[in-house]
Amino acid sequence: MHSAPVEDLEDLYENAPCGYLSMDTDGRIFKANAILGHWIGFNGGELIGKRIQELLTIGSRIFYETHTAPQLNLQGFVNEAFLELRTASSEILPIMAFAVLRRDPDGRALFARLAIVKAGERRRYEQQLIEARNEADTEKKQSRALEAATQDLLKRERETSELREQFIAVLGHDLRNPLAAIRAGATLLSKEPLSEKGKAILEMSQGSVVRMSGLIDNVLDFARGRLGGGITLNRADGVELEPILKQVVDELRVGMQDHEILTDFALTQRVNCDPIRFAQMVSNLLGNALIHGAAGQPVRIDAATKNGELEVAVINSGMAIAPQTMERLFQPFFRGEVRASLQGLGLGLHIASEIAAAHGGRLSVQSSDEETRFTFRMGAPSD
Amino acid sequence: MLRRMDGSARSKNNVKVEGAGHQPMIFAHGFGCDQNMWRFVAPAFQADFRTVLYDQVGAGRSDLSAYDPAKYASLEGYSDDLIEIGRELALHHAVFVGHSVSAMIGLLASLKAPELFASLVLVGPSPRYINDGSYVGGFEAAQIEELLDFLGNNHMGWSTTMAPVIMGNADRPELGEELAASFCRTDPAIARDFARTTFTSDNRADLPRVKARTLILQCRDDSIAPTSVGEYVQRSIPGSQIVFLDATGHCPNLSAPEEVISAIRAFV
Repeated sequence: MHSAPVEDLEDLYENAPCGYLSMDTDGRIFKANAILGHWIGFNGGELIGKRIQELLTIGSRIFYETHTAPQLNLQGFVNEAFLELRTASSEILPIMAFAVLRRDPDGRALFARLAIVKAGERRRYEQQLIEARNEADTEKKQSRALEAATQDLLKRERETSELREQFIAVLGHDLRNPLAAIRAGATLLSKEPLSEKGKAILEMSQGSVVRMSGLIDNVLDFARGRLGGGITLNRADGVELEPILKQVVDELRVGMQDHEILTDFALTQRVNCDPIRFAQMVSNLLGNALIHGAAGQPVRIDAATKNGELEVAVINSGMAIAPQTMERLFQPFFRGEVRASLQGLGLGLHIASEIAAAHGGRLSVQSSDEETRFTFRMGAPSD
Repeated sequence: MLRRMDGSARSKNNVKVEGAGHQPMIFAHGFGCDQNMWRFVAPAFQADFRTVLYDQVGAGRSDLSAYDPAKYASLEGYSDDLIEIGRELALHHAVFVGHSVSAMIGLLASLKAPELFASLVLVGPSPRYINDGSYVGGFEAAQIEELLDFLGNNHMGWSTTMAPVIMGNADRPELGEELAASFCRTDPAIARDFARTTFTSDNRADLPRVKARTLILQCRDDSIAPTSVGEYVQRSIPGSQIVFLDATGHCPNLSAPEEVISAIRAFV
């Protein structure tokens, strides 16, 4: 038989599982238990007469004075007040305090009782929570900033794009206008009586106007493509290609007496394409052949529709193109070995291949010692 | 705790107007509490004055959505609120009673809008908490940093204000009902900012410019605004008076309301 244990109230106070203290309305301690003294390195007697404010770290002292003490006074109790005690050896002891105020029958505060528990673990947990929240806040802020930056970038990109379109339009206009004036002047001049030499010079000038016009088209297209605009097509149904091809050939014949241009057209079908772009592509290919073809040898252009396919081939004679050169032919600014006076920007074949691709077609090249042949193929379903 | 707000200073700052008198007396609470700070003092003046109480934005039942970190990064943001309240209520020649940091908030408001305030009662004022050369504010800069750290990490401390409804207050039945509402409710994040604004402020240069009649109430053993600081304020404000209270600590308005009441009464 065990006898029921008997509680020793004195021991319960002194060695309770929490710290106890009693303080007057100024915070002056008049009773404290042994455990509390033990925690903070004072014996119970040493705590008597000290003010609680003296035991608190500076941060929690101000918190206590401005928040905890007013609360205790106003509501008569405080629960879960997080504070920090400064131990005799100057260490920080995080605590949670519970306080109750005793008042006299008139309601005047007499003194307060505090129960104190250690709160180191809770404190650490709380700090982790706060850190996690701060981190989440930071990430939220960063993602907002990123979003804002992206929007800003998009806006600037749209502005840049508008500026680019304007720039290209204005540049094209400004370059083509004087050229058109020269072309018109040359046409008028060709109706005047001219010496043989004059006629030859005029014809050369007219050829240069055509080449210049092609160059401008290519440069503007390249600029648009490089700056993000790309080649845009204005496709039309039922385009008759023969008149377009003839006009291109006629234009290029002027001023290019070195070469005869032979044509062989077997176009039985109208085609869906952008007529202006198609003309530009053929003009580029033909211009290239005229420059690179062996002098005195004809350049040939064949065009045919057959089995739902359009094929245009431009052929010149001359030396074979080296294999390593073939790979780079359609890259911008690639220039072969030709007389400096005939050298262009090296954009003609590049733009031609871009136009071909935009049409869903393909531009290919074959070269041997006999001939060099550029072939454009695209689907041309019969109606 | 979001409530519908009509955009007025009255709802933004939870303004409470009472009293039968004509002359207004406006009470402002300091850092860490709310207008309840004045509940033992303000009623004593309701027979002779029109009393005005309010909560600083971030405290009590103020409109938290009105909080703007940039505006409230200086005490001027708070004093602008006070002026706004004063104008909205058409206050004239009011007695301003400000505790702790609100002493400076009221003082700044009186400089900017002198017509609003006839006299200032500054309870535990400090124009600067951090020591500076021969000036003793009571704190080293590092101690203030420690305080700000502590407050920044003490969210749970602020949140404990939700109190159980009944607890050992049979002897103060008038408090019973309000227990559920809790006192000194403070938004932890705003409190952290307010602490920085308060404890890093320096308004020493404003003191000599004060024109309003001024009374300073100074406690003994005030660990936040020591006696030497109260004396400094008195010396710096032309014609000001100082009354040394027998009360200790930083909140005589709670711990010794009778003393505070009689000192204010004697002054006004």
